[in-house]
Amino acid sequence: MTGIDVALDGIEGPAGRMVEPLSFAIAPAASLALIGESGSGKTLTAKSLVGLLPPGFRAAGTLRVDGREHRLEQTDASWRAVRGREVSLLLQDPFTSLSPVHRCGPQIAWTLEAKAGRRLPARELDAEVARRLDEVNLPARVARAHPHELSGGMRQRVAIAAALASDPRLLIADEPTTALDASNQAEILDLLRELQHERGMAMLLISHDLGLVRGRTDEVLVMRHGEVVERGATARVLSAPEHQYTKALIAADPALALDAPVHAEASGHAEASGRSEASAADPPAAAPLVHATGVVKRFGERTVLGGVDLDVAAGEIVGIVGESGSGKSTLARCIAGLEREDGGTIAFDGAVLSPGRRSRTPGQMQIVFQDPYSSLNPMMTIGQILREALAVGGRPATEVAGLLETVGLPADAAAKRPAQLSGGQRQRVAIARALAPRPRLLICDESVSALDVQVQAQILELLGRLREELGVAILFISHDLAVVRRIADTVTVVWQGRVVEQGPCARVLDAPVEEYTKLLVAAAHRDRPHTHDHSTDGRTIPA
Amino acid sequence: MSASLGAVGVGFRRRGVPVTVVVCLVVLAAAFLAVVLGPVLYPEATKQDILSSLMPAGSPGHPLGTDELGRDILALTVAGAASALVGPVCVAVGSMLLGILLGTLAGYERGPLDFVISRWTDLLLALPVLLAAIVVSGVFGGGYWTTVALLVLLFSPSDIRIVRAGVLEQSARPYIEAAQMLSLSRWRVMFRHILPNVSSLVITNAMLNVAFALVAFSSLSFLGVGVPPGTADWGRQLTDSRSIMFDNPAAVIVPAVLIIAVACAVNLVGDWLGQRLTRSGGLS
Amino acid sequence: MLAVRVLGTVAILFVLSIVVFSMLHLAPGDLVKTLLGTRPASPEAVAAIREQYHLDDPLPVQYLRWLGGVLTGDFGQSIRLQTSVADAIGSRLGLTLALCGLAFVAAIGSGIPLGVQSAVRAGGVLDRIGTALGVIGLSAPTFAVGLLLLYVFAYYLPIFPVYGGGRGPLDTLYHLILPAITLAAGLGAIVLKLTRTAMLRELDADYVTSARARGIPEGRVRRLALRNAAIPIVTGASLLLTFLVGGTVLAETTYALPGLGTLLQDSVLFKDLAVVQALTLLVALVIAVIALLADLAYLLLDPRVRAKGGTA
Repeated sequence: MTGIDVALDGIEGPAGRMVEPLSFAIAPAASLALIGESGSGKTLTAKSLVGLLPPGFRAAGTLRVDGREHRLEQTDASWRAVRGREVSLLLQDPFTSLSPVHRCGPQIAWTLEAKAGRRLPARELDAEVARRLDEVNLPARVARAHPHELSGGMRQRVAIAAALASDPRLLIADEPTTALDASNQAEILDLLRELQHERGMAMLLISHDLGLVRGRTDEVLVMRHGEVVERGATARVLSAPEHQYTKALIAADPALALDAPVHAEASGHAEASGRSEASAADPPAAAPLVHATGVVKRFGERTVLGGVDLDVAAGEIVGIVGESGSGKSTLARCIAGLEREDGGTIAFDGAVLSPGRRSRTPGQMQIVFQDPYSSLNPMMTIGQILREALAVGGRPATEVAGLLETVGLPADAAAKRPAQLSGGQRQRVAIARALAPRPRLLICDESVSALDVQVQAQILELLGRLREELGVAILFISHDLAVVRRIADTVTVVWQGRVVEQGPCARVLDAPVEEYTKLLVAAAHRDRPHTHDHSTDGRTIPA
Repeated sequence: MSASLGAVGVGFRRRGVPVTVVVCLVVLAAAFLAVVLGPVLYPEATKQDILSSLMPAGSPGHPLGTDELGRDILALTVAGAASALVGPVCVAVGSMLLGILLGTLAGYERGPLDFVISRWTDLLLALPVLLAAIVVSGVFGGGYWTTVALLVLLFSPSDIRIVRAGVLEQSARPYIEAAQMLSLSRWRVMFRHILPNVSSLVITNAMLNVAFALVAFSSLSFLGVGVPPGTADWGRQLTDSRSIMFDNPAAVIVPAVLIIAVACAVNLVGDWLGQRLTRSGGLS
Repeated sequence: MLAVRVLGTVAILFVLSIVVFSMLHLAPGDLVKTLLGTRPASPEAVAAIREQYHLDDPLPVQYLRWLGGVLTGDFGQSIRLQTSVADAIGSRLGLTLALCGLAFVAAIGSGIPLGVQSAVRAGGVLDRIGTALGVIGLSAPTFAVGLLLLYVFAYYLPIFPVYGGGRGPLDTLYHLILPAITLAAGLGAIVLKLTRTAMLRELDADYVTSARARGIPEGRVRRLALRNAAIPIVTGASLLLTFLVGGTVLAETTYALPGLGTLLQDSVLFKDLAVVQALTLLVALVIAVIALLADLAYLLLDPRVRAKGGTA
């Protein structure tokens, strides 16, 4: 009767049933991954197992820890005896899961005292805190630091030490590495694995990222819309997925998709538009649509772009990849005129544009932003939004229906407001608005990052089709190598405001030359080379 | 801010409108009727009649009694609603309009204009409203509408700040950048795109300002500033009747309770409206 | 950062001092007549006044002379009380400070615990009562509360004195209880609202969920949240002060207390401009200093800001 046994009868929310019945067991020292996108019910499931569902939500079922049974619907007072000793929860964001005004030491010490059930002598407490910090490979002096003085990775280690200070039998880790950058993710997961083995502790890993769990959990449960759609041993699910949704998740995952050959359609486009891979690497014969040279942008003392060159030919799809903070979005915004570059020149169709929007016309370029929830004015109807954009391009309001059709939306969408549409539909509206003034360049700034993987695939397909039909060039910015790989003809890798590598998509992603590109591709694969260059460690932790 | 008052209405819902809010709306409707009908019903409310001075509540012909000068308390109270309520509403509306104009300009244009407007609001915010109003109207004299104008000026910093913060927050949103990508004019972006999205904040704050202006206004008339002696006005009535509190308590209690009731009602309706607008409107 | 903040405060005070000085010259009516007050306007008296106030000097010189006086504590003479302004203020300062102090302690003592409890049991009975009290406290003008309390305590429950400042420290304190409660009603409502809002936000934060999930006792979790909530509560202190300044005038007038509030009101009505100028400047100074102190407290309470302030 050892290990964890969960039988969840369901979770009800204010809007009805959120999670259908599900059950699973985890042996001591074993781990189970619960995979799903946002809204799948995975986080609610996690919170129901510590009795911390948000107000208005109710769970029913049982949690059995080494044979001791706990009802999920028990009162908060009864839960207090369970939390910490039996189950502990590690949250996603190390920036918010520690109290910002307290030092790290006391935050671990409180858990120790809670477990002991009494105040402990200061000396004993300090020694134990130091030991716990050592366990997560942190020096004892971290106890005296405030959370904001530590890097993201260190903070998450402190949070782990605090969560484990009560020696729980089950650790629930809710997206523990999502807020960290790629190089820290593997370290944290490996640390958790190690601690699990030392303590014989079971772990429930909640994640949206199927690639993350390869080799790190024993079993996988895939959830969608509150239901388990697939379950099984991790290796089996990853190599031979049965459910359609799991297949889509795997196809969308860089760690897994990178193993596949270059997207047939993307390379097909390159050939169809008469540009072989070799010629894309050479300077194009005709003058490029966008010709940016030596673009420099500083925010205060921080140099975000340190002299970047970029060419986009007419009708070409150029992918820009880099981690957050690399400057890729800033480059796109300088080209669009939303930021003013401090140096270098940006030419469009042969004519040099001065910094800012004033020198640019709507017919030159348009942007599709990342977040479809905030890129449409919530107080306007879709029809109003599109009519305004059509008027700018000198086109009559009667073209709204045609525009909606181009992006695959029904004509009656015009009467709706953004709040009545789904994320994917909103992004289609944003694309329609961008197309209204007939721009020659479409800038997609992480335009599919906020979408469900299946919707992501549809939008990518739409973009590819628009290039075919309208001949519009696309500057596609993404942190996600798999997505870029599926759509771009050429790729530019940006790191710390500089171009690291440029070339045809397949060449750059399959046979990278530069050290950083190799690292990026490797990080996407999640098996980091052992000869890791420490000078780049923590480079993307936001200040 | 609005969340804190919501709990009063929770649980007593009927067709989406909490009972508390219904009661408040009734109070406000009655106050509105008094403002409109007061001058018609009691055109001579302030007429003095020494013969019927200091009659207690329940006297024939004077249900709430009379004051020292023989003025009927009921008539005085109903007629006083206009003076007590019209000014505060004008203050709230005026400061809202000033706030929309200056706040939108400061928040969207940024730069030197923002600097000047922001320092101006800093300066005004350093002055306690009541103190500044007492000193200025007291020293410089001035009647009812001068006091209204003064309070508009003193209330406007809160509106300017709220609009400015809302506009700043909205300006950073992608839909504004999308509008800029369409090269729309700045006035169109400011007033067609941004303003509707901060309107819920503005309206809520204006409602709360009505309540604060009512308190400030009646406080000023209580101190003998703003409303000339002899006017029918709730605050003025309280000063005049303080000395006869024990002869005819109704003369003090009725206007005091009315001021509190109307201010509470405006506050609660404002908070409820704020929550409704936030939930249905653009701000999330 | 702090230096900039201090400079900004000094700049605001400087502008205000010009405004306050101009008050004398902008006030309607003849300045000399105002300054003469009730004395007969004989040519000698007029000449004496012009001499005494240096009215024949250019305005900037007059301003500098006046500012010099203000900075050395010389605010001139009160025409109504026939004493120096400094004396008039000094003799009434204690009572007003005692009133404000009592009200402040009462407001903090009731507002913070009630706000915390309301937030912890949001939607419960206590929260509803607290919220209702908060709305009334915010909506009711100080004088209206004062008059109602006065009526109740003078008529039905005559345990507190209703008028005047009393004699001797203990009697004064006794006389101040009712005015302090009156003032604390509005003040406490603001504290309650600030505390409840801040606590609700903090209790919803990830670090609270995280603390609960590792089995930390609820009492400790609440102290943890309150420590974080202290930052917005202290920042909101300026609201309290603005309320307190107006509220004191109203409370003192209602209860006929001989404090600075009634001094201001009487001086305004009598057009005793020297006193009005001095009191206005005094209040502006107090507000500026307290706002500065609130900023300093913010630095002490928030290690993140402290770290930035240290390097800048």
